[in-house]
Amino acid sequence: MLTEQPGLLFVAATLLPIASFAILLLWGAVRWGLRPYANDNPAARNVFEMLGGAVPGPGPAYVATAAIGLAFVCSLIGFCIFLGEVGTMHELEHELVHHQQAHPDKHDDKQGEKKDDDIDKLRGEFNQLKHHWEGSVDWARLYSSSQKDIDRGAILTVGFRIDMLSAVMFVMVTFVATLIHLFSIGYMSDELQKEVEDHEVHTAHGHYSRRGRFGRFFMFLSLFCFSMLNLILADNLFQIFVSWELVGICSFLLIGFYFERTSASNASNKAFITNRIGDAGFIIGLMIIWTFFGTFNFEEIFRRVRCPQVDAHGPITFKIGEDSAKHRIVRGNAEQKEGYPFFKANPEGSLALIFPRNEHLHGPQSEQKVYPEPGATQYTTIPYWLLVVAGLGIFLGCVGKSAQFPLQVWLPDAMEGPTPVSALIHAATMVAAGVYLVGRCYPFFTPEVLLTISYVGAITLFVAASIAVVMTDIKKVLAYSTVSQLGYMMLGLGVGGWTAGLLHLLTHAFFKALLFLGSGSVIYGCHHQQDMLKMGGLYPKMKITALTMLMGVLAIAGTPFFSGWYSKDEILVSAYGFVMANKQHFLLFLLPLVTAGITTFYMFRMWFMTFTGKPRDEYVHEHAHESPWQMTVPLILLAILSVGVAWGWPPHIPEHSWLGEQLHHYSQPESVKVDFAEADKAIAAHHGHEVVFFTATSVVGIGLVFALVLYFYGVLDPNDAKEQFPDVHRFLLNKWYFDELYSTLLIRPALVIAHWCRNFDSTVIDGFVNGLGKWSVLTSYWSGRFDSGIIDGFANLIADVSYAVGSWLRNVQTGYLRSYILFLALAAMAIWVLLYAWANAVIGGP
Amino acid sequence: MMIEYDLLTMSLCIFLPSVFALALLFFPKGTEEYMRWTALFGTALTFILSAFVFIDYKTMLDANPDANRGAAGVARAHQERTSLTGRADGAAKKEGAEIKAKDGSDMHARYSWISRFNIDYYLGIDGISMPMILLTTVLFFLSMIASWGIEKHVKGYCMLFLILETGVLGSFLALDFFLFYIFWEVMLLPMYFLIGIWGGPRREYAAIKFFLYTLFGSVFILIALLGFYFTDVQDFAHKDVLTAKIAEVRGRMPIGEAPGGKPGKGFPKGQKGEPKEVKVDAAALTDKAALQVQVHSFDLIILAKTGKAAMQWMGLDKNTEGKKKFIDDIVERRAREGIPTTYAAVDARLSQAFFTPMFQYVMFVFLFVGFAIKVPVFPFHTWLPDAHVEAPTPISMILAGILLKLGGYGILRIAYPICPWAAHALATWICVFAIINIVYGAFAAMAQTDFKKLVAYSSISHMGYVILGIAVWPEIGSQYWAWGMNGAMYQMIAHGISSAGMFFCVGVIYDRAHHRNLDNFRGLMEPMPLYGGISAIVFFAALGLPGLCGFVGEFMVILSTWNFSTPAYPHAGKVFAILAALTVVITAAYILWTLQRVYFGTNAAYKDYKDITVRELLCIIPLVVLAILLGILPMLVLQWMEPHVTGLVDSLMQVTM
Repeated sequence: MLTEQPGLLFVAATLLPIASFAILLLWGAVRWGLRPYANDNPAARNVFEMLGGAVPGPGPAYVATAAIGLAFVCSLIGFCIFLGEVGTMHELEHELVHHQQAHPDKHDDKQGEKKDDDIDKLRGEFNQLKHHWEGSVDWARLYSSSQKDIDRGAILTVGFRIDMLSAVMFVMVTFVATLIHLFSIGYMSDELQKEVEDHEVHTAHGHYSRRGRFGRFFMFLSLFCFSMLNLILADNLFQIFVSWELVGICSFLLIGFYFERTSASNASNKAFITNRIGDAGFIIGLMIIWTFFGTFNFEEIFRRVRCPQVDAHGPITFKIGEDSAKHRIVRGNAEQKEGYPFFKANPEGSLALIFPRNEHLHGPQSEQKVYPEPGATQYTTIPYWLLVVAGLGIFLGCVGKSAQFPLQVWLPDAMEGPTPVSALIHAATMVAAGVYLVGRCYPFFTPEVLLTISYVGAITLFVAASIAVVMTDIKKVLAYSTVSQLGYMMLGLGVGGWTAGLLHLLTHAFFKALLFLGSGSVIYGCHHQQDMLKMGGLYPKMKITALTMLMGVLAIAGTPFFSGWYSKDEILVSAYGFVMANKQHFLLFLLPLVTAGITTFYMFRMWFMTFTGKPRDEYVHEHAHESPWQMTVPLILLAILSVGVAWGWPPHIPEHSWLGEQLHHYSQPESVKVDFAEADKAIAAHHGHEVVFFTATSVVGIGLVFALVLYFYGVLDPNDAKEQFPDVHRFLLNKWYFDELYSTLLIRPALVIAHWCRNFDSTVIDGFVNGLGKWSVLTSYWSGRFDSGIIDGFANLIADVSYAVGSWLRNVQTGYLRSYILFLALAAMAIWVLLYAWANAVIGGP
Repeated sequence: MMIEYDLLTMSLCIFLPSVFALALLFFPKGTEEYMRWTALFGTALTFILSAFVFIDYKTMLDANPDANRGAAGVARAHQERTSLTGRADGAAKKEGAEIKAKDGSDMHARYSWISRFNIDYYLGIDGISMPMILLTTVLFFLSMIASWGIEKHVKGYCMLFLILETGVLGSFLALDFFLFYIFWEVMLLPMYFLIGIWGGPRREYAAIKFFLYTLFGSVFILIALLGFYFTDVQDFAHKDVLTAKIAEVRGRMPIGEAPGGKPGKGFPKGQKGEPKEVKVDAAALTDKAALQVQVHSFDLIILAKTGKAAMQWMGLDKNTEGKKKFIDDIVERRAREGIPTTYAAVDARLSQAFFTPMFQYVMFVFLFVGFAIKVPVFPFHTWLPDAHVEAPTPISMILAGILLKLGGYGILRIAYPICPWAAHALATWICVFAIINIVYGAFAAMAQTDFKKLVAYSSISHMGYVILGIAVWPEIGSQYWAWGMNGAMYQMIAHGISSAGMFFCVGVIYDRAHHRNLDNFRGLMEPMPLYGGISAIVFFAALGLPGLCGFVGEFMVILSTWNFSTPAYPHAGKVFAILAALTVVITAAYILWTLQRVYFGTNAAYKDYKDITVRELLCIIPLVVLAILLGILPMLVLQWMEPHVTGLVDSLMQVTM
């Protein structure tokens, strides 16, 4: 099976961690379930002891680490096989497309037919190779009888599709994750005790103590690894959304790992809810795509939104001015012609054209789709503004996940989680998912969306860096630097540096994981002290940590020949080209350039404050120690990669980075070149590479000098600067008051509305209902009264009256005949009078 | 007459719980434990029986594959033969019944009950009722496990509990509106007593509120039911039904009135002589009977056909030609079937109130309000929080897990098929109510301090998705509405699982802490890790986390919403979709905030609580497993539910397209 479809190696790599999660979940559940019975029931006790007993054992860590390690091996093998095939695949595709461009109509002459055989052979080969790396199964399917667009919007699939980007990401994620698992075995060893004292939680009887939860940590890590790998594996947006939520919940669980701490549970809530704001945007994007494209598959969406290289679907105007529309989003207006709507291409048009799914022309596939109606009716359209909204919606999801402005607030708080979590989830992998998704959806984004992405990136990278300058918590500094670096990636993608942005994602993953693990090693060595104001002079105590971290600092600062330099330089070059082509957006180059200096400054500030100078806290310094091998080995491996992962030949030219070239050649969407042709020209015309190299290096140098002067040599006292600009310092220390802003603008109004709703229920609706109830009770009371008072009263009255009359009449019954006769006569007279009157009235008189 | 196999199984399924309830009557005092076991056995047996019914149903589906399926990527017409309409037609043919021929059971059974009023004991199962039946039997079984803690009047409790199950299952299985209504009312009283006797401190208020609200709704349903009955629906009844009716009318006819016959005398059967006259008379009599005959029916299938025809008819508003053709078609069809009728007669019947917009509007609104109270839809929802808060845990599970679904089921089974015209015309407004439910429920949940009330309001919010999925009747794109309807069904199942689980989780902690104030909990995760973990899964399922059941339905509904539009409000779908999408934030907020307030943090008072017991585990584990399974593999349910749900969508869409 694997030789037929080596892509399944990546599927296996994805499924291994979920298997580990399932095992650990069952393991933990049975152990938890048996604990109450272990004392009384011997059988329960035996099983309980077998599963580790009262003291958490290291077993779960081995299961999880083995799973992710094996996943790494799978990915690596898969990656190697992929490297072997990708070149051939690429060539075949080019040849096929070339042929189709030359012969759009296959059956024009005999030569063409002969060539058809060749082409069919090529297509067969190509399909076979392509089949190696993709596949999908139905997840949910409806058999609707809709007549139009027969297979639009009927199936949700899950599947995999490996290209260079995902293959590289697989290797990166599994590698970093394996190292972090290893690191965690050391770092989380406190959790192996039967009773763990949490120094941050205070109760009436001193510190809070709880059971160790070593296994739970690795269980969550496994779930996370699965979700993250599934996200990379996905060939469609739906699957990405699913993984998106799952990584979110893993992040929630791991940030809140020390859930006894209020700060931790608050931070985990904040992280998830902030992410959900982004997800709401993501969902809106998904809905638009589903409604207009009827599929979530990336390839299909791109084929339909971007003008194909060859089109054989009848009369449609493709030319926009002189330039061919190839790989562009074609806008136009509808024109009615002979019963069919035709679309006239027009750069200002209000509709974006959705192209037919012409697989047989484009991505050669064995199964051809047959459409009921030929020609131009196969084109559908989407209002252009909705295409923009869909792009912005998906990007909002990325903003949430990658902690971009304005949703960056959750990431620094997320540092409440254990440090390996910060390294894996909140630095190397999950937060980069937003960047990855932007890279994936790239052909779908309109120029407006890309510009938004650039600006969001630029603002984020500056804001975050400015805050990082004043932070004293070592992890907070790193958190803000992460936000800032993610901003760089977004900016790079937005200005057309697709390769640059994603290369930065990869290099950043290594050096940021290194930095976080380094900080973890420091924190572990200093007995959970995170405040840099209590550190200092730790270099002699923990040399490996210090030196490896220095590698990371140099890499993130963008020192030439360190990995970060290659990617950051590329991003700056792209920004430079974009700005040269569109001068009004000069901030897009200026902000990242300045921030490169700030980055250098705050990273060195962190390193100097931690490792050099005099110890600021004797106690911490006394007890500091180097970490065990499980922790230093990952540091060393990551340090090596942080230096050299982006190398290529010749090493002094960033765009020749081997990794970057792979991405550029095999994964970069064709649309990038088309959309940013002007920027590319501008780079060449204005000597972009040289300019950027010199300016960036100087800025980095300036940053370094500032850091040296302030924090290494101590020539200037940083406190003076603080006192000089107290307002600025306070502003930065309060993180630009974003939390306060959101609290006023979002959280409080939401709570107020919630209370309104509750009160509306209890007063208005229930008031009405209860009022109605009371009213009916009252009505029935009164009708009861009416019954007993008036109706019964009337009846009683009649009875009483007749009784009274009767008793009065009794007096009449005297027994004397004459009085009877008298009454009789009177009565007869009365009757006669009455009859007479009646007859008079009716007959009209005698 | 041999009783049909499917009539037997389906009836057993309904009445088995009642049989056990009856048996409980003879248990002497002091045997409470046995009563519980008996009741549990009863629910278990019902569950097993429903599983058999399911197997039969699935066998029927598999034995009748849709001829149009198969070609990959091409989806077309629906399992028309296995749809209830198809099976009803098949059964009416008597001789036909191809479906029956294959495995002997078409899961559709009719038995004349009160023939004077054309009321049948009429049961049937399709993809809409089957999942509800399974959900019912599973949840009743699990709730019975959860009922072990009930100490007061155990016998009465168990009996009412079992009678309630009969009512619910009967409602889901009935295909005769009258029968449905009877079962619908049967549910009401047991529930009233179960809340009113075994409830919390304000139980009487809650029980009366529940009772009055539901009764209020029932009255509307009753009016609609009678309104439909007074319509002559013979044009849409199957020809064999009509033939039988004609024969019946003819039999009642005094011979003397027959044209051409001799007055005053009948012809004794088999008597010789005057054969010609007899023959002529017979034909003429039949003709006359055919013109006199009236068919009044509670048959939901016939009513649905009539409703669909009404929609078509009213769609031809000013189109005289079309109307003429419509009538001609009916006359022609009847002529082909050998039943004489005239243009004028059909025209007269199509002038009945049923075929007027006002009638359709009023009846739909009545039905909708009647069912909406059960769902519940804002502003008819305030009985729910009170009922939940006061009801004992297992009753809350039943209430949230099943009784609310009856509202959605009623809308799907009765309101929409019979009054499609009004449903289509009012789609936007139904969506508005659905969105209010979703948003309002979520916000109101966030403000609650009572744990049970929070879960109750989350139910209101989640049931809003059900209504939304049903209501998004689009102008084009039936597949989108199909996602909505299937999503609504799936959401009902998922909510049945997750809300029952949530109420159970509340119950577990209530048994220990004896209060439900969210602000006084904290720190339960550490002493009760297993309980905490299970609760987290159940709450995440409610939150709509992918991989758990709540996500699937919600996502399907959301996918269908954007496509919704009406000529009057072309952007309505977009607005609803955005509001529904934004609510996920509020949902996350209140669920996570609850988790934080109950399970996280520390609390010395609860430090020594014992973790969840084995009995409690037995009750909750199946729900957790179901929540995970249905979250990962929706096709497990979709494949046998979807044909008929999508079929309903298609049949309704045919009229508008």
